[in-house]
Parts: sequence; structure tokens; C-alpha cells
Amino acid sequence: MIRPDAPVLLEIRDLHASVAEQPILHGVNLTIRAGEIHAVMGRNGSGKSTLSKVLAGHPAYTVSAGSVLYRGEDLLALDPEQRARRGVFLGFQYPVEIPGVSNLEFLRVATNARRQERGEEELDTFAFEDLVRERLEVVKMDPAFLERSVNEGFSGGEKKRNEILQMALLEPLVAILDETDSGLDIDALRIVAGGVNQLASPENATLLITHYQRLLDVITPDYVHVMAAGRILRTGGKELALELEDRGYDWVDAELAALAPAPLEVG
Amino acid sequence: MSTAAVGDLVSQPYRYGFVTDIETEKIPKGLDEDVVRLISAKKEEPAFLLDFRLRAYRQWLQMQTPDWAALGFPAIDYQDIIYYAAPRQQSKKASLDEVDPKLLETFDKLGIPLSEQKRLSNVAVDAVFDSVSIATTYREKLAEHGVIFCSISEAVKEYPELIERYLGTVVPSNDNYFAALNSAVFSDGSFVFIPNGVECPMELSTYFRINSGDTGQFERTLIVAEEGASVSYLEGCTAPMFDTNQLHAAVVELVALDDASIKYSTVQNWYAGDENGVGGIFNFVTKRGHCRGDRSRISWTQVETGSAITWKYPSCVLQGADSVGEFYSVALTNHHQQADTGTKMIHVGPRSRSTIVSKGISAGQSSNSYRGLVQIGPKAVGARNFSQCDSMLIGDRAAANTYPYIRSQQPDAAVEHEASTCRISEDQLFYLQSRGIGFEEAVSMMVSGFCRDVFNQLPMEFAAEADKLLALKLEGSVG
Amino acid sequence: MVAVSWTEPVTALAAWGAALVADLDGAMDGAIGGDSDGAIGGAPELASAAGPGADANGADANGADANGAAGSRLPADSDPAAPSPLSASPLAPSSAGDPAAPALESRRQAQRRLQREPLPSRRQEPWRFTDTAALAAIRPARFSGEDRRLAALAAEALPPPQAGWCRLLLDGASDPLAGVSLPEGVEPLPDDQWAACLPAADASEEEPWIGAIAAAAGPLLALRVRAEAMARLELVSEAGAATGVLPLQLLLLLEPGARLELLQVHRAAGASLTAVQARIAVGAGAQLQHGLIAQGNDDGVFAADLALRQGFGSQVAFSSVVSGWGLSRLEPRLVQEAGGARSRLRSLQRCDRRQVADQHSAVRFEGPEGQLDQLHKAIAAGSGRSVFNGAVAVPRAAQRTDAAQLSRSLLLSDRARIDTKPQLEIVADDVKCAHGATVTRLQQEELFYLRSRGISAATAGELLLRGFCAEVLQELPEAAALWQPLHHLLGEEAPAP
Ligand SMILES: Nc1ncnc2c1ncn2[C@@H]1O[C@H](COP(=O)(O)OP(=O)(O)O)[C@@H](O)[C@H]1O
Ligand SMILES: [Mg+2]
Repeated sequence: MIRPDAPVLLEIRDLHASVAEQPILHGVNLTIRAGEIHAVMGRNGSGKSTLSKVLAGHPAYTVSAGSVLYRGEDLLALDPEQRARRGVFLGFQYPVEIPGVSNLEFLRVATNARRQERGEEELDTFAFEDLVRERLEVVKMDPAFLERSVNEGFSGGEKKRNEILQMALLEPLVAILDETDSGLDIDALRIVAGGVNQLASPENATLLITHYQRLLDVITPDYVHVMAAGRILRTGGKELALELEDRGYDWVDAELAALAPAPLEVG
Repeated sequence: MSTAAVGDLVSQPYRYGFVTDIETEKIPKGLDEDVVRLISAKKEEPAFLLDFRLRAYRQWLQMQTPDWAALGFPAIDYQDIIYYAAPRQQSKKASLDEVDPKLLETFDKLGIPLSEQKRLSNVAVDAVFDSVSIATTYREKLAEHGVIFCSISEAVKEYPELIERYLGTVVPSNDNYFAALNSAVFSDGSFVFIPNGVECPMELSTYFRINSGDTGQFERTLIVAEEGASVSYLEGCTAPMFDTNQLHAAVVELVALDDASIKYSTVQNWYAGDENGVGGIFNFVTKRGHCRGDRSRISWTQVETGSAITWKYPSCVLQGADSVGEFYSVALTNHHQQADTGTKMIHVGPRSRSTIVSKGISAGQSSNSYRGLVQIGPKAVGARNFSQCDSMLIGDRAAANTYPYIRSQQPDAAVEHEASTCRISEDQLFYLQSRGIGFEEAVSMMVSGFCRDVFNQLPMEFAAEADKLLALKLEGSVG
Repeated sequence: MVAVSWTEPVTALAAWGAALVADLDGAMDGAIGGDSDGAIGGAPELASAAGPGADANGADANGADANGAAGSRLPADSDPAAPSPLSASPLAPSSAGDPAAPALESRRQAQRRLQREPLPSRRQEPWRFTDTAALAAIRPARFSGEDRRLAALAAEALPPPQAGWCRLLLDGASDPLAGVSLPEGVEPLPDDQWAACLPAADASEEEPWIGAIAAAAGPLLALRVRAEAMARLELVSEAGAATGVLPLQLLLLLEPGARLELLQVHRAAGASLTAVQARIAVGAGAQLQHGLIAQGNDDGVFAADLALRQGFGSQVAFSSVVSGWGLSRLEPRLVQEAGGARSRLRSLQRCDRRQVADQHSAVRFEGPEGQLDQLHKAIAAGSGRSVFNGAVAVPRAAQRTDAAQLSRSLLLSDRARIDTKPQLEIVADDVKCAHGATVTRLQQEELFYLRSRGISAATAGELLLRGFCAEVLQELPEAAALWQPLHHLLGEEAPAP
């Protein structure tokens, strides 16, 4: 839902970032307002996950230039946990398995940290169980998953649902979902997309990173961005995604080449 | 069927077991201070080197044979060994034409032609026969690039200041029992010096040949790569078949300064003794590289197929920041051979990285041990090691032991070790055979597949040679 | 108090060992080692038992079995003149065929061993990485009357046993079976069956030194679980603030098909040495779920030699959690005597401050088709030293063995140190043997994942640490919960039960 007067939640300006001394992002610009759903598409290796990791504050990624404002505040100055508590959520492309750490306890500690930030009271184990059972509905997840270790031995689809469950509990204002649809069968895709739609509201915004039109069939984006070589090359409406589906990414190369002295050479 | 058949495959005659009949100058058996002085005098060494030898000899007297390796061997009578033997020729010849043709013929037979017409075009060779270097090819061409490649005896005379600066700085003379012995009586070996910024224009190689039956070989090799220099070096070794054991106690020292890189490859095929374990070389070797400079790199690759007993741990001291150490090893033992080999990676500098890949193949009644140490010192912030040690057993009388020791004192470092044991399964053989591949070839394919990660590291010129060597060992009765 | 360290002259160590042997023998006043043949001097019943047919029971009148517990052997510490209870048993005929002779012989051997090797030194390979200073600082004598009072005081505060579990309190002095009704199917082990548990007299490999301390004092508890029986046993020692040595030699026989859940708990709060030697024979098809919890303090030393022999088709799951000791040394040694058995080893050790935590495990397959699944975990914080040595031997007879060993160590401080040394020895071609070892800090990707959900770095670290421990803790027998192993492990103040 596009409302030009809606407050800006996230403002990315000329973001340059590198990992392992390898420059990956070469000037990303993106503005996200409350209520909007953005889709970022692009070839493998174009820097989509890097953008998401930088926004979430992964310590291995260094920002060399540019800025990111989250509700007017310098997001890059915050620790990863502070970002999460203030409402920035990253759904991981590859959720991490953590043997030995109970999923339920993990969810409770995380939820309470977010609640505390919002000035809400912490939930005790019983109250939390009620809440988590309710939110399990969103992703149609078996409560048995709560008893297991975080993501350990989960199938690809189960991991992605666990990500959406976390999103449902943390109620973020900006949710970045990195290829949440990949590796899902059609039923799981519906469930995950249903969850995302259910959680979307005029107050929050979603940044979907995806390869496939099929996700955008069920979650309608307001904007579609095409990322290439660490930059957003083109922005359009949902029809841009359809165009990509038709034409593939080859035209991107042409357009990149046209962008004469582009800082493509890395290292 | 397969196990026994595979066992047969790895038994093959030793092809380098001949003796060259040549007049040799030998000093009497036995070791004392006078012998040390005599060796030094024969080599017309400067005083500092005689002092070095005498100090080492005195230290050696105080030391005891190490007993921690998983090796069993009879006590060595150090008074029953000849410490210096040299083909009788006045001095090293300026031209190959003057070298005794018998010697040239010997190296021809070993597949190392030295004469101008036949020698490899892109490899410089230093040929060491018993205690002396008899020829070094391409010296002049290398000299044009400022590269020094000669025998260590010559280097002592021609570049004494370099020898004094570097000798014994990586492996101190009292490092261990055999290093001390070597330091006292070392005979010959190679010296390589690559100056600042020079990439050595060709592969360097030393070929060691033990010929005399009662001589010990105590070679000493020193390779120095200055800032930004790089070199790839290969050594090969063979010896005739004698029914007594011979001692080979070498010391190899490598020094890499900032941004320098040394690649050291070995194809070791000393005589291994017969199928009953009689005879063969005792190969007690100390090899160590010192990554002294930042971003320096030392890489050891070894293919160990010979010797009755091998006791050898090519190691890296990773002192420079971001320095890199590598160890790639294939060790094949058969009959009664014993190999105790591995590496030490001593991480001192920040972000130093090391990789260890060891492949042990044991057949017959042999024993093949990997023994490794990965040590992360308190200052090695961000250091990384990955080790992979795999064993392949052929037959149920061979032993494969793995002793990977890890010591870490730096929380911001990661050490990872993996090991597995496998055999050539009948299923795999059957699968290959059902596709029309002969039994022998199938086994050979499996073994070389098992070793591929290591062979890939060998310089191109020698990868084929190593593959051939393994294939030779695998050549046998079937088919 | 004799306080020495390994760097000190051998004579000081010898004094420590001699004093300990004298005390453990229970009849000594310093006249040790007089015999030229190295036999223990001054211990009449031991010296005389050396020859066949010697009358070992010369001092029989003392009747150490006064309390009538046939299966428990009481050290005669209270009366220094009393002979060893082993030889004093009225049931033991005084001949070479003495059924208790193997026990006596093994005790004698242990005493000689202690005399010969008073304290291990770092020059010995199995001790190369382990500083035994804390051990040498222990008073080399069993608990005095006052020590026993302190231990008893602490024991009173122990949580009551879990329902369905039979607890035996091991204080090294009184009969653990007194006033206890053993579960059905569990009974004292008859003397003539001790040999089934004790190491063979002609054992080719020398027993580890660590067990000799307990073995020199003789068996304290010998039990068997009858064929096909099912039982739960908790063996608890609580040294409290006592100082000195608490030797605990335990013999346990599981007859074929027996099933036992066993939990050993050893605690100390003072400068004491809890020295355990357990000899456990697990019969064909028997199942043992064995947990060990050792919770100590900075002055305390825990030394345990656990030898398990597994019969064909048996299953052993052994899990240990050791933390808090100035020095701990755990040596689980497992032999699959006929192969075809399953062994599952889980262990966790933590060292902090200047503590040394050491585990040397050894598994040997003597028959085909055995299985091993071993996971060792270590946490080193502060200036702690963690040592792991894991030997696995697969000789020729052990074809089709499937063995996996994994060692995972966490290094949490730049003053701490971890030494880990797997040791695989294989002489059989048709086997699957894998092992792995890692030494790292907490996984940075895992930390980031947790932090990206709003969990603070400190909490995330703690969660990961607890997760690291959970993998082992969850395998302890159910009664372990009583002892709050996680709280003790992480050095937290345990909440009131
Ligand atoms: N940790 C890393 N170290 C080195 N290169 C990396 C690392 N992570 C990502 N890259 C590189 O950055 C580029 C962008 O990767 P990524 O952001 O994952 O792309 P996408 O998500 O669009 O497929 C790729 O070339 C990738 O190889
Ligand atoms: Mg991606």
C-alpha cells in the first residue's frame, strides 16, 4: 500500500559495503515507508543477502560509505540486538542451527527483549507459551518444534516457517525476508506467504528478497527493485517482476555495460 | 578375493636397487671429534662451521634416541657407520664433460639425465652422490636472475656470510637427536637463495643417491627466499638394495621473508628393505620452514613410498602475520615398512593459516602413522587451521595410526581436524569393473583418487612422476 | 602437609607417595620399602601373602567384618594396628586358592606401584600436559576423625534420593551397605567373583597410575546385578570440607542380560583427593546406563579410573560431567572383549580460574562388529587448562568395527589453554573409523543469529554455552537432575532446591 505521506521507516543512501575485504555493495539507495511491500530481485551473487546482512548488522560486513536511517535514527550505529529490539527483522536465507539451545527458550528470550524495548512487561513461561501457541497458528507449525533445538535438524521448509514464527512474535516494523520462499513446496509457500500477509499492516513494511515471481503472485509488492553488481539498477511496480520473468536477466548485463565507468572492478 | 589381490598389487620389485661400481674415497667407520674435524677439513670449511659442527657433536653426545614415535627398530651402532664417502675425483668439475661418466650413467639410469643434450629443459638439478654433490645444472642461467643454486659445500666457500646468517636458525643444532647428529657430520645437500622480488625462473631439484653400503647420508639443505621471492623445489631419493640398514638423517631448513613463497616437494623412494623387512634405509629427517615474514608462505608436499623406517615431520613456524603453511602428504607403506610422519604447524603470527592433508596407505604388515601438531600461540589472533587425515588399509595386517595433537591458547582462532579410515570396498571395485575397467586399473584409480588432493599440489613436471611411482608400487600379478 | 609440585625434586614426590602408601595400607608407621625385592615392608599380611601357602591371616582375631556386610570391605583406618580387612575376612581360607587372593594381589600391586611411582611427572607421556601440583598439595593420608565429621556434616545436607533410586553413601570409612536395602537383583558380589571385575594379573598393559590410589586401599564396595534384573543405583561421595584422601574402589558385575542405571556423584568442598577406581564388568547382552557427576572446588582433586569390560551384545552409555576441581583426571577405559557391543561415551569438562581438567579415555575392541560413538566436550575459561586424550584401538580381530570420536572444545579466554589429542590405532581393513576435533570460541554465526533476534551478546553467549553443555547433560541418568549439573558447571549459585 503506497501512501506518500506515510512515515519513512528505512532510508538507505549510497551504501557501500564489503566482506572479507571484498567490496560487494557499490552504492545502494532505497527508501521504504510504512505500509509498503518492496521486492528485491536479482541474480545470484548480485549482493542481495549482503544488503540484508548489513542492515541486520552482521559483524563480518563493513560499511565503507553511505548511511542507513531507521525511523530517523542511524541504524548502522546500533548493535545487531538493538536493531532487532527496535523492530528490524531479518529472515535468514540460511537460518542457523544451534544445537542444544531450546527453540522455546530462544523464542521467549527474544520476544521478551523486544517487549522490554517497547515498554511492555516480560512474559513468564506460562504467558509466553500461550502467546507462542497462538502465533504458531500463523505458520501452521507443530508445537513439537518448540521442544527441539533451534533449527537443528529442521527441513528447509521448517526452518523458513520458524523464521516467520519469530517474525510473528517479534512484530517488527521492517521485516527483511531473504529468499524465504526458496526451497519451499507450494503448500509451504502458501503458508509462509499467508503468514507474511497476515503480519503486514499500515504501520510496518516488508522487504522481500526473492528470485521467483511465484512468491509475488501471493504477496503483491508495491515496488520491485532489480539488483545487479551491488546496486539497485532499476525500480518499478509489480509489472517489473513479470517483465523479469519473461525476459530473464540478460538485459541487466547490457544496462550494466552501458553504465560506463561503473565501479565494477572489485578488490 | 579382493583384499589379498590388492595386497599383491602393492608388491613390486624396487627398480633403483643397483650399485654403481666406482672408486670411492671413504674415511674409516666411527664417530668422534676427530671425525667431525676431518669432515670439516675435507670440505675446507671456515672456522665458524667447524665450531657449529663441534657444538652440535657435543650436544648430540648428551642426547638420547627418541622413543616416542610408533617405531620399532634395533639400536643403531653409530660407530659402525662411515660418515664420509665420495666418488674419487679431485674437485667438483666446472663442466659436466669432466664428471666421471659412470656417475652420469647412474643418474641417467635413475631417470635424471644431467648431460646438456638430455636434461630437462625447465628443471635445474643438483645431483648428490653419497656425501657430495657431483653436478648442478643451469647454474649460470639461474645466476642471471640472481638465484643461487649450488651444493651446500660450495655455498660454504662462495657465500659464507649467507650460510653463517641462516644455517641452524630454523633447526637449531640441538633440536633433536638426529638433527644434532646431522649438524655435526652433514655431508652435502643443496643451497638455494632467491633474492628480493625474484620469481625463480625454473623448478629446482635435488636428487639424492646413496651408493655405498655402509655409509650414512647426512644431507643438509637450506633454502632462503627474500622479500617477495618465490621458488618451487623438488627432491628425489633412491638407494641400492643392501641387506643392512643404512642411516639417512637429513636436515632441511626453509626461510621465507615478507611475501615470499617456498614450495618444497619430495618424492622419497629410498630402498625399503625386502618383503621380510631385511635391509632398507632408516630415514630420520628434520624438515622445517620458517615463515619469518608477513604474508609469507611455505608449502610442503611429500610422496613417501620408500625407506624401511621414516621419521619425518616437515613443519612450519608461522611467525609472520597472515603467513600460510601447508602440508600435503601421501605415505605408502608395504611389507614391514614403518612410517611415522606428519607435520607441525606452529601458529605464532596473527591471522596465520595452515592446511594439512595427509593420506596414508598401509599394506602388508607395515605400520603407517600420522603424527601432527597444530599449535595456536597466544598472539595468533584469527588463526585458522584445517586438517584432514585419511587412512586406507589394504589387508588385515597393516596398521594405520593417527595422532593429531592440537594445542590452542587463542580463543579467536579456529582449529578443525577430520580423519577417516577406509578401504577399497568390493562394491566400489565391482562398480568400476562392471563398467569394463580392469581390476588392477580399478585399484590404481581408487588409490590415485584417494591421493588426488595431494598430487594436485605437486609441480606439474613431477605430478606425473609421482603418479607413475604409485602406479609402479601398485603394478603386480593381476591382469 | 606435604606440598610439592612436579618440578620439585623427586625425593619430595617420593615422600608424598610413601606417606600415602603407608596410610592406605593402614598398618604402617614409616617403615616402608625396607624389602630389597620391592615388596611392601612392614605390612605383615601383605609381605607374608607373597609366598604360596603363606598364612595371610595371622592377625585374624581382629575380625574386620564385624558389621557383617559381606560385600563391603572396610578400611581399617580407625585402628592403625589392624591388618587389612581383605586378608582378615573369616570367609577367606588361608591358602593359595584364596578366592580373595586376586583382590589382595591387585592391592599389593597398586601399593608397589605407588611406591615405585610416587606421583606422575610430566616426563611421562600420559601426564605431559597435566600439572599435578594440586595433587601433590593434598595431605597424603586418609580422612582423620575430624575430616570424617566434616564430610558427614556435608552429607547430611545432600538432597534426598530420587524416587526409585537406591543411594549408597561412600565415605571411605563406614559400610555403604549398612542399613540399606538393595534393590531386587542387586547383591554383594561374592569374593570368588571379584576376579571377574579386577584386572587380569597378567594384563599386558600397565594400569593407569590414577587408579592405584584407590586400589591400594582395597575394595570398598563390590556388587553384582543378577542376570535379567533391572536396577537403579546412585553412588555418592561427599567430602565436604574434609582434607586428605578419600579412596574408593568399586567392583561391579552385571550378569548377562542385567540392566543397570548407575549414577556416580562425587563432591568436595575442601583440599581433598577423591580417588575412584571402578571396575565394571558388563556381561553379555547386559545394559549399563552410567552417569558420573563430579563437582569440586579449587583446592580439590578428583581422580577416577573407570575400567569397563563389555561382553558380547552388551550396551554401555557412559556420560560424565566434571567441573570445579583444582585438578580433575578422568580415565574411562572401555574394552569390548568379544566385540559386538555398543559403547556410547559422552563427556563434558569445564575448567576456570587456574583449574586443570583432564580426560584420558581409551576404547579397545577385541572382537568384531563393535560400535563406538564418542563425544567429548571441553570448556576452558579463565586461566584453565583442559586436556583430552582419546585413544581408540581397533586390532586385527575387530573387523567391521564402526567407531566415531568427536572432540569439541571451547576456548573462552586468552589465558586458557586446550590440549587435545585423539589417538587412533587401527589394524583391520574392514572398519569404519572417523574422528574429528575442533577448538574454537563460540560460533560467531550462531551468536549473530541470536543477536539478530534482539538477544544481548552476553545472553546469547550464555545460551550458546548452555546449548553446548546440553548435548551431554541430557544423556545423564534421570537422577542427575537432583545435582543441578548445569548450575555447578557454569559456576552459578545453585538455586535452593
Ligand atoms: N563471507 C564472504 N566472503 C567473501 N565473499 C562473500 C562473502 N559473502 C558473500 N560474498 C560474495 O559477495 C557477493 C554477493 O553475495 P550475496 O550477497 O550472498 O548475493 P545474493 O544474495 O544476491 O545471491 C558474491 O559474489 C559472494 O560470493
Ligand atoms: Mg542470497
